[in-house]
Formats: sequence, structure tokens, C-alpha cells
Amino acid sequence: MSTESTVVTGNQRIAKWSVNISIVFLCLWVLVPIYLLIANTFSSPAEVNAFPKRIYPSFDTESVRFFMNFYGVGSALWNSFKVACLTMIMSIAVGAPAGYALSRFEFRGKNTFRVLVLMTRAFPLPLLALPLAVMFIKVGLDDTVLGLAIVHTVLALPFAVLITFSLFSGVPVELEEAAWTLGCNRLQAFIKVIFPLVLPGIAASAIFAFVISWNEVFAAAVLTIEHRTLPAFLLQSLDDAPLHLKFAGGAVLVVPALIFIFMVRKYLFSMWGIANR
Amino acid sequence: MKSFVKQTGAAVVALSLSVVANSASAQDLLFWSKQGKPVEEAQAMRDAVLSGFEGSVDFQPNDGGPWLTRLQAEIEAGEGKIGVLGALHGDYTTFADDLADLSDIDLGDAAMNETFMELGKLGTSEQKYIPWMQATYVMAANKKALEHLPEGADIDALTYDQLIEWSKTMAEETGSPKFGFPAGPKGLKHRFFQGYMYPSYTNSMVTKFRSAEAETAWNKFKELWSYTNPGSTGYSAMQEQLLTEEVWVVFDHTARLANAFNERPDDFIAFPAPAGPTGRGFMPVVVGVAIPKTAPDMDAAKKLVSYMANPATQIETLKALSFFPVVDVELPSDMPAAVQLSGSAIAKMSGSADANPGLLPVGLGDLGGEFSQVYTDTFERIVLGGEDVRAVLDAQAETLRNVMVEANAPCWAPDPASDGPCPVE
Repeated sequence: MSTESTVVTGNQRIAKWSVNISIVFLCLWVLVPIYLLIANTFSSPAEVNAFPKRIYPSFDTESVRFFMNFYGVGSALWNSFKVACLTMIMSIAVGAPAGYALSRFEFRGKNTFRVLVLMTRAFPLPLLALPLAVMFIKVGLDDTVLGLAIVHTVLALPFAVLITFSLFSGVPVELEEAAWTLGCNRLQAFIKVIFPLVLPGIAASAIFAFVISWNEVFAAAVLTIEHRTLPAFLLQSLDDAPLHLKFAGGAVLVVPALIFIFMVRKYLFSMWGIANR
Repeated sequence: MKSFVKQTGAAVVALSLSVVANSASAQDLLFWSKQGKPVEEAQAMRDAVLSGFEGSVDFQPNDGGPWLTRLQAEIEAGEGKIGVLGALHGDYTTFADDLADLSDIDLGDAAMNETFMELGKLGTSEQKYIPWMQATYVMAANKKALEHLPEGADIDALTYDQLIEWSKTMAEETGSPKFGFPAGPKGLKHRFFQGYMYPSYTNSMVTKFRSAEAETAWNKFKELWSYTNPGSTGYSAMQEQLLTEEVWVVFDHTARLANAFNERPDDFIAFPAPAGPTGRGFMPVVVGVAIPKTAPDMDAAKKLVSYMANPATQIETLKALSFFPVVDVELPSDMPAAVQLSGSAIAKMSGSADANPGLLPVGLGDLGGEFSQVYTDTFERIVLGGEDVRAVLDAQAETLRNVMVEANAPCWAPDPASDGPCPVE
């Protein structure tokens, strides 16, 4: 009896330990590259190339200063932010109603519609970019923040539709019906009952759209010139840059996105339903 | 939390409205370039080279994909923002019809290289681009490698056999292969085979592709490969591996070695490419500036083109991009280390008694990529795949012949001129 219980606790202990080890491993998996990126950003060029690597950075700011003075980084950062915000709004404005319709109504061609939404991701952007750019030039959308945001919205839309679809499906239709019996019309029931319940999820899918826009390079490089976004502006230039500038440029690209995601992490978690509502 | 979302939401909406209402700012002359991409080069182009121009120029370097797509889109739409293009000779061949004629451009007192001007016509009667700068490929070495140099070998007049022996000695004495070759996906390996190995062993680039001499050349390269750092299949710009000291002796484009020379000028040397039985093959690379017919301000664009050919601008460009002038200039003595080191290696290489220049492919149009692919595939099958040299050469010669016939391209140096497409014997 007693031996049996020690065996059980022994097994439990092993299980607990392996969970802990996995957690530590996964954290390191994410944190070590970010640490190396930051540490190398604040090292002098000679130290970046040296081997073995230093563990602590020497807080040499040469590489960082280069980017501070690099022509156009500020405005590109601002453009990226503007495009990402517009993408966020448009993808929710179009995606959420579509998600609601998919979850609440039965209509002809529903399945076709779902496939069509996914199809927008089936075509590689380099293939679409040429006709798109020709059309944009003719219509006058070329080299505008709005034009690029429209393209990014199309890219983000499948995710917005699918995420909101599952959000609305997760809210029992009985709640809505109860609101109707208590005197709400359809719109009121939606605004007063459904919307507050799905709000965190909507915010999460909006953030997802933001991230998709933030990371997109090809369309941004072809469709914008004066209104370049940060990845389009920097990513191609970093390809052939020396190592220490690659690290610093990487940090310039990653840190704003990290800060943004850290600020909104609560909403991001709610996408998987683990936030405290 | 709800109010936070609402507030952020409101702020975002307000911001977006202001964005949509925003109108475009004043127009700069757009310089759409494939060169000068690395951040510090782009910075130098803006600060040192283009700041002297009378108008304001927006210098935008790009990857090949976006560069081409944007240009194609503007040509197709019949209007655009690109004022001036900057790209390699080979990039322009597809667009000859869409480039403005620059025959009437005033180059001032710049004495332009005649051969390069002729290349700039792209086989037409009009001047399609004006040469902007040139570069080539050289060898570079860490000074630590010099003590392993084979006895009696002159670093400025190496042969391929001596290079192989040198690499072998280094591998044996240091315990790891110290020769590095840019054979990665973005490495310029095909230029080595086209402009260095083939002319050095066969005195040809195309015609003698499958000759017995070519077979010897590939077997020699296989031998060299056995003393080459196996990481080479991932290398692109060899300056990185020189700086990390992963390898000691390398072959690459001068612009892709510049950082190593500039950062540690006392640790590295540049020297001419080796010679083979038929001379010291090397390949000069020409970059040109052109104006698409859709340019919004043709006059300003032409002014910028002639400004780029100005001797003073050419010297600034050399400092910024490590590409060499195409006009006659007198170089000042305060040039960066990369310029001095590569410059003297280039001078020794092109001035050597056995120099055997092989030009960049001419007249292939949009088949340039397929032409290079033949050499890359041959390398991968023979050297990486270990296939039989003769069989691979016979098979690839067939592909090469098809490319030449389809492009209907006559031979270029070092192959003797031909009537009709350049034959593959």
C-alpha cells in the first residue's frame, strides 16, 4: 500500500518535472534568440564578429545610432503603424459581419463562401503584385497608405472571418433570443448582449491583422515608394548588410512589434479563450 | 478593459481618417536602383553621392523581385514615378524597347569607356543606358594564410594548380579547410565558372563548353572542392566568412569583400584570380543608369544621368559602393581600404601579361537567368552530386545550345565572333 503510493507520487513528480522542464525549454527557445539579438545590437562591430561571443553586451551604441540617423526610418515606422491600424479596422469591419453571418444564418452557397474566403491566401503575392500595381497606378491608389492597407486587409481577412466565426459560434444563440423576448430588436440585442461578450476576441483578431500587416514585405515594396513601410524599407537592405547592422536592424524591426504585443497580450490570449473575462 | 478598447478604437479611427485625408508630399526624382542595397551603402549614396545634385533625389535600392515588378507595372500602366533606373547590364536587356534614348545626353568632360558605351546600346542603334560603374571579382586572403603558400608561388601571379596546393596545405596544417567559395543560393558561383574557370582552361565561355579542356577544368575544380570549406554551399557574400575567420582564402565580387577590407585593412589582402593553361580569365561587370519612357520628369532624369557620369561623382560613388569608375579619373590618395586593396588587385589582374577577359553575357535577353542556370546545374551535378563529368557536360551542353539558339545570341569575348547563335561544339 505504502510502496504503491510512493510509486504514484514518484510518477507524479516525474510528470511535474517533465512539465517544468518543457516550460523552461520552450521559454528558452523563444527568449535566447531575442536575447542574442538585443545583446549583439548593443555590441561593437568587432565584438559581434568575434568568437567566442561575449555573454553580456558592452553597451556600444554605434549600430543603434546608425539606425537612428538612417534616412527615413522614422517616417517608415510611422507609415507601418498607419497601414497596420487601417488594416486592423478594415479587416474587422468586413470580417466580423462575415463571421457573424457564417455562424448565425443558413444561406445558399455558405460553404462556397467559406472556401472563397480562404482562397484569397492561395495565390502568392509576387504573382498578384504586378497586375495589382498596374491597376493601382491607373486608379490612383498607387503609393498611398490606403491602397497598401486594402491589400493587407485582403491578406488578413481569412483570419478575421474564421476567428470571428468561432467567436460568434461560442456565444449561445439563446442569449440573443432572450434579449429579443425582453424587447430588444436584432441590432440592440447584438450591441447590448453579443458585442460585449465577443469584444476581447474581436480585439485579438484585430491585433492579428495588425501583425500580418506589420510583417508584409513584398506588396509594400512594390506598391509604395514615398510611403514605405518599415519592413519594406529595411528588410531588403539588411539582406547584404554586415552582421552588426543585421542585428541592430533586426532589433529595430522586432522591438516595436514586441512592445505592441506585450501591451495587448491580454486580448491575444482571449483568442484562445484563456483570458479572464 | 472595455473603455480601454473603446478609447484605443476611437483613436485608431481618428488616426486613419487623417491618414486617408493626407495628400502626397512634394515629388522628388525617384532613383530606382538594384545596387547600393546594404544599409550603409544606401546611406552613403544619399549623403555623399546624391547630395551634390542640384535637385532632390529619392534613392531607393531594392531587391530584384520588387525592382522588376514595379518597373514592369509602370511600363504596363504607361505612367509611373520612377525617374532613373540603376541596374546591371543584364537587367536591362529585357526592357530595351521601354528605355528612353540617351544618345543626346551631354556627358560634359567625362571620358567614357568606349567598350562599355557600346554595351549600353543593347544591340540597338540607340543609347539605352549610360555606364555608371564597374566591378569585377578578385581573390582575398587573411594574412595568416600567406605562410602556407606553396614554395615559389607569387601571390600576384598564382595558377589554379598552386591554389589547389595552397588550399590542401592549409587544410592539412590547420586541421580544417580554409578555402571558401560563394556557392550558396545567393552566391555568385556561376560567374566564377563563366568568367574565370572556363576562359582560364578553354579560352571560351560557350563554344568549348563540353570540350576535353572543360573536362580537365571541372576535374581540377573537384580537386579544389575537396579542400574547400563544406559550409561553402551556404555562403553568399564572402566578407562575412573572412571577418569571422571561418575561411582564410576566398573568391568573390569586390563589392562583396569591401566590408572585410574596410573593417580590418591590416588583416586581409586582395590579389588577382589564378591563371590556367589559357590565361588569367576574369569578368568585368558593368552597371548602368537608364531612364524608362514613363519617367515623370524626363529633363531632371537626364540631368541626373549625366551627373552620375561626372568624374567627381564617380569618385564619390566608388567610395560609397566600392564599384569602380567607368570614366577616366585620377583617384585621390585618401580612398577607403577596400578601394585601394581591390583596386590594385584589379589593376594587376587586368594588366597581367596573360589577362583573358570574359565579358558578361550579351544579347541573351530574358534568357540570362537560364544561361547562368546551366553553369550552376553543371556545378551541382558534377561537384555536389558526384556525377560523371563527361556525361554531365554532354547533357548540359544540349541545354546551353538550346538557350543560345532560342536567344539567337552571337558569341562574345573570349569566344570568337559568330554568324548567328554562338555554337556549342
